[in-house]
Parts: sequence; C-alpha cells; structure tokens
Amino acid sequence: MTSVQSEDNSSLIYGDDFDDDDESIDLYESQTTATCSMGDTACHKLNSLVSQESEFDFDEDQFSGNESDDELLVDPMTLSKKALDDDKGGSSLKYECLTTQDILDRMLKRVHHLQPVFSIPSEDILVLMQRYDWNEERLLEEWTEKMDELLVEAGINTSNPGDKLNITMRGIKHRSDFNCFICCEVRSTETFSLECGHEYCIECYRRYISDRLNEGNVITCMDCALALKNEDIDAIMGTPSSARLMDSSIKSFIQKHNRNYKWCPYADCKCIIHLNDTSYLQEYTRLHCSRFVTCKFSHIFCFGCGYGMHAPADCNVTMAWVKKARKESENLNWVLSHTKECPKCSVNIEKNGGCNHMVCSSCKYEFCWICSGEWGPHGRSFFQCTMYKNDDEKQKASVENSKKALKRYTFYYRVFNEHEVSAKLDWKLGQTVGQKVKAMQEKMGVSWIEGQFLAESLQILNEGRTVLKWSFAVAFYSDASHNLTKIFVDNQMLLSNAVEQLSELLQIKNPETTMKRKSEFYNKAGYVRNRTRALIECGRDLLRKCICKPVD
Amino acid sequence: MSLKRITKELNDLGRDPPTSCSAGPVGDDIYHWQASIMGPPDSPYAGGVFFLSIHFPTDYPFKPPKIAFTTKIYHPNINANGNICLDILKDQWSPALTISKVLLSICSLLTDANPDDPLVPEIAHIYKTDRAKYEATAREWTKKYAV
Repeated sequence: MTSVQSEDNSSLIYGDDFDDDDESIDLYESQTTATCSMGDTACHKLNSLVSQESEFDFDEDQFSGNESDDELLVDPMTLSKKALDDDKGGSSLKYECLTTQDILDRMLKRVHHLQPVFSIPSEDILVLMQRYDWNEERLLEEWTEKMDELLVEAGINTSNPGDKLNITMRGIKHRSDFNCFICCEVRSTETFSLECGHEYCIECYRRYISDRLNEGNVITCMDCALALKNEDIDAIMGTPSSARLMDSSIKSFIQKHNRNYKWCPYADCKCIIHLNDTSYLQEYTRLHCSRFVTCKFSHIFCFGCGYGMHAPADCNVTMAWVKKARKESENLNWVLSHTKECPKCSVNIEKNGGCNHMVCSSCKYEFCWICSGEWGPHGRSFFQCTMYKNDDEKQKASVENSKKALKRYTFYYRVFNEHEVSAKLDWKLGQTVGQKVKAMQEKMGVSWIEGQFLAESLQILNEGRTVLKWSFAVAFYSDASHNLTKIFVDNQMLLSNAVEQLSELLQIKNPETTMKRKSEFYNKAGYVRNRTRALIECGRDLLRKCICKPVD
Repeated sequence: MSLKRITKELNDLGRDPPTSCSAGPVGDDIYHWQASIMGPPDSPYAGGVFFLSIHFPTDYPFKPPKIAFTTKIYHPNINANGNICLDILKDQWSPALTISKVLLSICSLLTDANPDDPLVPEIAHIYKTDRAKYEATAREWTKKYAV
C-alpha cells in the first residue's frame, strides 16, 4: 500500500465511522451534496471520502464466503453479483438454477418414493405422473378415490400379468406377409403391439411416435387408450427417444407452472430458475424489490418480467418504458418532421400534396393545414388563417405542451440509449480484461487471485451502468417537482460520475500501471458500488411513495 | 403410402357402406372427396342431407383429413364456414381412425352437440338455455338448406 495517496489514508479512518448497512446515510449524503455543482471538485472529493467505507465492505462481501457460495468462490463474476443481490433485497432471495434433466431426475426420485404407495411398476407410475402433469398431490388424491378407474383412464394394463396371452401379445415380433392397416402394405416386417393386440408395422409406429415426441403427452396405442411405456418407445425407435418425450413433458410442466419456474431469457441458455416461496422475505423486500436472479451462466434477469436487470425501475416502469420506446423510437423522428395531428381525432396526418385543404382519412374532418382550424370558413374568405389572430394562443399552448412532453421523452430516451451503448462497449472491454490479467501473470508474476480485481471492477462497472440506465426510465415517470426526485437526480449524477471514472481506469492498457493503481481500482469500484446501492434505494423510495408512476 | 391407404378406405366404403353416410372422390383427384350425411332421425336435422368436403393431406393417415360442411347447418360446434370442432379431427386424431369412423362421429355430434366446447358461442348459449328454440332454428335451417 505504498502508493496509496493521503486521501485514501484518511478515508480509511473515515470508513470506520460509517455503518454501511444504514442506507439512510447514503440518502442523507446525497441530500447534503445536492447543493454542490458537479463541476466542483472539492465537493466531489468530499463524496469519495465519505463513501470510502466501501473498501472494507467490498472485501467483506467478496471473501466472507457467504452461505452456499462455496462453489461460487471460483467465479468472481457471480460473486460480485451476489453482493449486488444483497443491495437489492437486504435478505437475499433463495432460488435454484436447474436444467430440465435436474427436474426430471427429481420427478424420477418422487416416482421411486411413490412406488410403495401405488404398488404398481415404476414405469406405470411414470405414465400416471405424466398424465397428471407431475402433480403428485392431485394424483394421490384421485388414486385414493378411484384407483381402478384411474388406471383404465391412464391406459395402464390392469389384466393379470401372469396371463399367457398378454405375454405373447406384447412387444416386437417378426411377421412374414403382414398386412398393416395403417400403411396398407403387405410384406415381411417387424411389428409392434401392446397387450391390446392392436398390431401395426414398426415403421408406422416409428412415424407415429416421432410425431408425438415433442408434445410431451403420454403416447398411446394407435387404436386404444393403452399407454406405451418408455421402454416400448426406445425399443420401437431403436434409440433412446423416450428422453425426448420426457424432456418435452418437463417443458410443458414448466409452462404450466410458470409462476415458480422461469426459463432464462438469454439466447440459447437452457437454464431454469425455480423460485418457490418468498414468504421468508421481509414484507418490504417482497413488495418493493424486483426479484433478480442469476443462472449458472451468470445471466441476470428479473423473475417477474423476464427482462434483464432493471433496478432501480420496477417491472411496471420497465414494461411501460420498453413499450413506449418500442412504440416511439423508430417512427418518432419521421412522424415529428412530416406529420401533424388531426385536430379532431389526433391521428397523425402526412401531407402529400400541395393543397392545404385537408380531409382526415380517419374521421373525415376537414381542416386547414396551416392553422389547423376548420376548413368551412376558409372557403368563403380564402386563407383568413394567414392573418394573425390572438385566440390562437390556447391552441399553441397545447401544441407547445405536447412538444415539451415529447422533448422530455426524447431526452430521457437518448441518455438511456447512450448508457446502453456504453454498456456494450464496456462488455467489449471486458473481453480484453482476461488478456490483461494473463499479461500481468506472465510479466509480473502476479498470482491469478491478485489479478481478479480487474474482473470484479468490470462487473461492478457493468452493474453501475445498468442501474444508471434504468434510473432514467424511473426519472422519466417521476414527478420532477418532488424533493425526492431531486435527490434521485443528484444520486444519478454522482453515480454517473463514478461510473465514468471507473470506466476510464479500466481503459489503461499497460499492465504495470494497472497493478500500480490497484488500490485506486478498489476505491473507485467500491464507490461505484455504494452509489449504485444508494440510487437503487432512492428509486425504490420514489416507487413506494408513488412519486414515480408509469403512465402513458 | 397415403395413396394405398386412401384407395383401401374407398374400397372398404364401397364394399360395406355405413348406414346414413356415403363418401367418394370428386373427379380424378383421389385426395379430394365429397361426403354426405343424412340428418339423424332423432335430431332436429332429420330429413336433411348434408354435404361435406374432405381433403386428405399427403402424409395421411399420420395427419388428420380436413373435413368441412359445405351445406349450411345450425349447430354449436359447426361454424358458418362449415368448420367442425371435433377432437378427433385435431389433437385426438389417430392413424387407426378411418373416414368412415370420422363420419360416424360427425353423425353422433349432430345428435349430441358439445355446447361446453363451442365453436359458435351464441348457438351454444341458446342450446343450453332454450333448447326448444335451438331445435326450432336447427329444423328451420335444415328445411331451408338441406332438403
């Protein structure tokens, strides 16, 4: 720590005085700094001093090995994400990341457990479970009520297994001159039938089964309700095809239980997040915190709406914002420069001829393009609208207003977008970070773990940017005159500044300089993290107090 | 393969025609049939003859045939275009079903409509609340379009 500047040393002393769990300090802090202009470096220094407790806080979260995080220790990306999780919830959200195979394995385990209860072969229980969408309780309930009917309904063979006829009927046979009813071919072929004796050639059966593997329902005999078991399917197809059927069955299970199971929305990611019960969370957390989850591949998304990380915005604000952006961004400019709204029905009208006598194609209202007034009087004394009239003021005001609203939106949309672009560039930067770490290891003999501060800083930078980005959506929907909104905007500025500084630090290409400035990385990253947390907290307050309301 | 199967079904229909329905190809195209169903005597459709068009997909019998009424009919499960809402023509189709079995199913749909899974909710509503009115309208339509 020889290179630590005096500023940092003093910060260490300051750090002890602050309880980093107390969010109100962050808020208070931004209130006190709200009066400083951002260009004021002295003021800024003060800020970085105040929040230097981050260095400790940072270390603590990273290396304290929180519960169930053992395997995560090897993955610094997930680690720092975990830290952010704490920011959002206070008490962290408990969920699990699964694959369809994990879920299936669990189901098979349940089948195994149920076997003594049902006292029928496990394969048959599997068919029953599939039929009942893996809903064990409902199955057991109906089982105790009407066992025999259930078996018939599910197409499970109930005749005495010792029956000789059954044994000879069931399975694949080789037959010469077999006339298959399905394809109407007469030839020597292999055939298949269940206990019911409905026998068809194996090719027709293959075709029939392969059409149904993706549907996830129990496959039955072509002519009756008797169910094919997984072993039958594999025997007929000659490959372990029943795995595909099980997979699609689990997929439809997830679809039907989409309140508790969510697919990771990232392209080609096959993870499923299972969030069962949130009653253990504090009420405040449950009501006011979006549930951000991370899959095995570090994809962060919101369990509620499926979008990426969108703190401090909640799902409603996110949806409203995304919808608005989709609706407006592309056409906005063109519409603005080429059209006027019909004064009566507000549909956008493009003027495609020279004549100023407009007829709205939507409501048939006739009006003048120049003054937007009714056309009627124009006919008699032509173009009276070119004369200056005082009572236009009101109309002008409303046009002015809508223009203002649009301008406001355009502003917020632009900053939002700019941060998105920057985030993408940061991501590119991230790919060079690995090389940097490697270079440091080779040139300077730095150990792997020592080089990890770069990856951590980058992750924190990414999170900071995302939060900053979404904070503009919150700001757009907030009542600008409210004091809390002002605090929020100040917090935005602070985070914005912090993010840019950290980003700059990460641009350094020389590994030696990077190593030398390691403590700066820690300081800046910790500061970004704290500012991020403060902004999230502040945004949540806006939402909770209904100062931020998504209206269209 | 579908050709062989369709030809076989046609022969079977000729050899052992089901009561109250008939079916056969329109012109030279073996994949396009026309069928007729006599209104079941215990239904408001009694006395009417209803025509249907049948289109076989090339992967028949692994995919269901497309069947629609060409005669107008007042029924909760059949709409103005003649489309029929019947499970065996959709997800419950099985390659072991035949045109003759399907036509018989349609006959029984005429006797016992399924108002809980309607294609035309208005008719289903009348069917459930004012059965007499439903029967009167169905009889009237039969007289008008199917006799």
